[in-house]
Amino acid sequence: MDLLRRFALGEIDAFETLARQFQGDIYAWTVRIVRDPGIAEDLTVETLWRIYRARRQFRPDGNFGAWARRIATNLAVDHLRRKRPEQSLLTEPAGPPQPDRLLQRETREKIQQAFRRLPAKLQVAATLALVEEQPYDEIADALGTSVGAVKLRVFRAVRLLRKQLNRLGVRP
Amino acid sequence: MKGYEGKEMTEHEMVEHEARQIREALRQSFPPVNPELRRDLWPAVLRKLDAHPVRVPWYDWALIGLSAGVFLFFPQLILVFAYHL
Repeated sequence: MDLLRRFALGEIDAFETLARQFQGDIYAWTVRIVRDPGIAEDLTVETLWRIYRARRQFRPDGNFGAWARRIATNLAVDHLRRKRPEQSLLTEPAGPPQPDRLLQRETREKIQQAFRRLPAKLQVAATLALVEEQPYDEIADALGTSVGAVKLRVFRAVRLLRKQLNRLGVRP
Repeated sequence: MKGYEGKEMTEHEMVEHEARQIREALRQSFPPVNPELRRDLWPAVLRKLDAHPVRVPWYDWALIGLSAGVFLFFPQLILVFAYHL
């Protein structure tokens, strides 16, 4: 019997194989959204736990990776919704600070602040499309929506961000 | 609005220009993240599975109880049930 079928039947060994195989992909996707390695690890564990709980809903002829990514994205969106705005969304790069040639620190913080105020779904679409440059079809698949809807979310995120930055007196 | 070369920009070009500016600002504001997983998360998943065992929902237990009751009071139905298996 193949691995996915054994997983769907609840075999823990099959799940372990899948978890070890896909944990890196789930983590990489999640950390791009939440931008915090510790939180991304916690959400990856939560994603794998939910995957096991929902195994009966998985069709063994389906795409496990895409299904896992969708669950991870939903959890990341929920996390951004719950997150209090005053918490830092963005991690500082490790090591000595690099010279900031183009944007002053204050401007950067205002942009981060404005970005945190966007609705979670717009944040996710904008982060993945604009910052991480992930393909639109992959983002749409992970969000369980169409490419057109993702483009609309990115467009709305840009518009809202522009308005908020204008209000804060920032011109990117 | 004037473009870089002094030409009037269409609405589409303005939207594109705006998106480019915001994209650039975001890229400079978001430090890059390392997408590599630093450790194996399977032990943590296993701990979580042990801490929150998957429970049989109450309606499954109700169905089992109902079936047991039916077979207790109408044992001849066991044969009918077995025939349809």
